[in-house]
Amino acid sequence: MNRLDLTGVPCPMNWVRTRLALEELAAGDSLEVVLDDGEPLESVPQSAREDGHDVRVDGRVVTIAKAAA
Amino acid sequence: MTLSDSELERYSRQLVLPEWSGAAQERLRSASVVLVGVGALGSPAGQYLAAAGVGRIGVVDDDTVELSNLNRQPLHFTPDISLPKADNAKVKLAALNSEILVEAYPARLDGQNAEAIVMGADVVVDCSDSFATRYAVNDACCAAAIPLVEAGVLGLSGLVLSILPGRSACYRCAFPAAPPPGSVPSCREAGVLGAMAGIVGSIQALEAIKLLTGVGDPLLDRILQIEGDTLSFTTVTTERQDDCPACAQVPAAQQSGA
Repeated sequence: MNRLDLTGVPCPMNWVRTRLALEELAAGDSLEVVLDDGEPLESVPQSAREDGHDVRVDGRVVTIAKAAA
Repeated sequence: MTLSDSELERYSRQLVLPEWSGAAQERLRSASVVLVGVGALGSPAGQYLAAAGVGRIGVVDDDTVELSNLNRQPLHFTPDISLPKADNAKVKLAALNSEILVEAYPARLDGQNAEAIVMGADVVVDCSDSFATRYAVNDACCAAAIPLVEAGVLGLSGLVLSILPGRSACYRCAFPAAPPPGSVPSCREAGVLGAMAGIVGSIQALEAIKLLTGVGDPLLDRILQIEGDTLSFTTVTTERQDDCPACAQVPAAQQSGA
């Protein structure tokens, strides 16, 4: 499982790093990102869903399964 | 060739665009653009291309900055009067984005040197101010199969056409001959409002970025006409001419990233 610790990385840089990491994955592969409470945990999962990915949130750990292009 | 931390931050507001990607950004970084003219159109076009992260920009201009340029050429400032425009544009664009390479060519592009100047460019952005230069740029880009963004602005009117030589109408297909001398007032006589040139030059930058990245649909076979007084934007379709002396015989240009 690919994992990205984005603790302390504010918006929108956390989403920039998440998107670029997802770009490297094949469709169906998952990426785990660790986000700060507040705006990051509110925004990044929502942005990932808007891009069509499957998103699961467990505390500060967000698992994103990459959608088919 | 991954993007550095400072590049990620510099380009963060475009990297989050749904249409954009790290791959699109890397295509821009490895791209070379030649900007013919850094005046009313070339100033905004150059600023947005440099800001967006085009890796290599060559600026071609043989003029020096004059006081009467400053109403419409936002790369040039009052203390820059009498400096060569190409050199000044290089300094300003390099200061805007330290990640890119800007080269100054203080030359006047004509039919003799055009092919040498555009050689190696991935896209040419024509920001020149005469029909003779436009035809020379068009013919050189057609001969070398280099994508081109053509534009013109006069008074409160402007037009833009993107060209993939061999695949879409070139400037000569759309405008086979220059208007007779005297029938169209020169920029000097007709005047140009800077904000209007800013709109047109910004659209040129957008078109160049689209051609370089494959993002979006460029203005191929469509001439965008803008009337600034009413702010009406209309597109008129055009098409390749079988007997075009510039592009009829050329192999089709490839759009990068597409």
